[in-house]
Amino acid sequence: MGNRMNLVGGLFGAGFGFVLAAGRLHEYDTIHETLKFESLYVFGLMGLAIGISLPLLWILERREIETVYGGRLALSRSRIERHHIVGGALFGTGWSVAGTCPAPALAMLSSGATYGAIAVVGLFIGLWLRDRQVASSATTSSIGDGEHRDLRTTPLGS
Amino acid sequence: MNVLPDQLPFWIAGPLLGLLVVGLFVVANQPLGASGAYLQTMKAAKRDADTVSWRVWYFGGIFVGGAVATILGPGIEIRRGYDAMSNAGWSPIFIALVVLAGAIVMGYGARMAGGCTSGHGICGTAQRSPASWATTATFMATAVVVTGILTLLTGGDL
Repeated sequence: MGNRMNLVGGLFGAGFGFVLAAGRLHEYDTIHETLKFESLYVFGLMGLAIGISLPLLWILERREIETVYGGRLALSRSRIERHHIVGGALFGTGWSVAGTCPAPALAMLSSGATYGAIAVVGLFIGLWLRDRQVASSATTSSIGDGEHRDLRTTPLGS
Repeated sequence: MNVLPDQLPFWIAGPLLGLLVVGLFVVANQPLGASGAYLQTMKAAKRDADTVSWRVWYFGGIFVGGAVATILGPGIEIRRGYDAMSNAGWSPIFIALVVLAGAIVMGYGARMAGGCTSGHGICGTAQRSPASWATTATFMATAVVVTGILTLLTGGDL
């Protein structure tokens, strides 16, 4: 079970990285052309990704499907809180300055751009700095995936 | 190898990404995010017994998938990256510091908001989570404003 889930993780990661690099989302210029509205590539890509997955997930949720390894499909939704807005503003600032985000930074590095390593290291430092505070205050169990689900409580844990 | 076009059109890359989001839910009942994978990889490095191992495989998968797409496209070329900053006359060390600072702020913000461009921006919005829509709107708007400021400050170089 654990091994099979690792394979699933590796394959989905590879698919994700493949699409990001094929779309050149790991290039500073792709991100900045969109943020300057010179091209709408990233907005179009995200819009279509949501446009496909939102209705499909809605249908699957209503049908209460059983997932292959994770039991009954469970989507999560949470209320808007202050940390979403403050964290989002900080994230947006860093996204613009570094011209990349967490997954594309990995694809940037593996495409041969050595400074992708600096972005990856910086991301680890930033995540770690905040994670220490979260761990010591113990106010939230959210693990940082946007899904607000504590992965440690799932049967897929290891 | 130039099997892939220079840039996969957004109307192909976007739906593919959407199907990956749906696929990971159908197979494993898990969200497709990237910052959580960084956190789990950090845990693995610390040999934490709580590590969700498949997220570490997923982290490695993004790197490998990005390399595969690059090999099938323009080919891997070892370079620094961030050409726009070099063209603006910035020194390699200054570029490294800017990228590092941006990435630290981005990582900190992602942990605070509970997700990044993939976790909140695509996967969370597709789950119809109000918090994800709010985070996404915030980081998009902030990134557009910060990019505008960068363009102004650099006299249009960035």
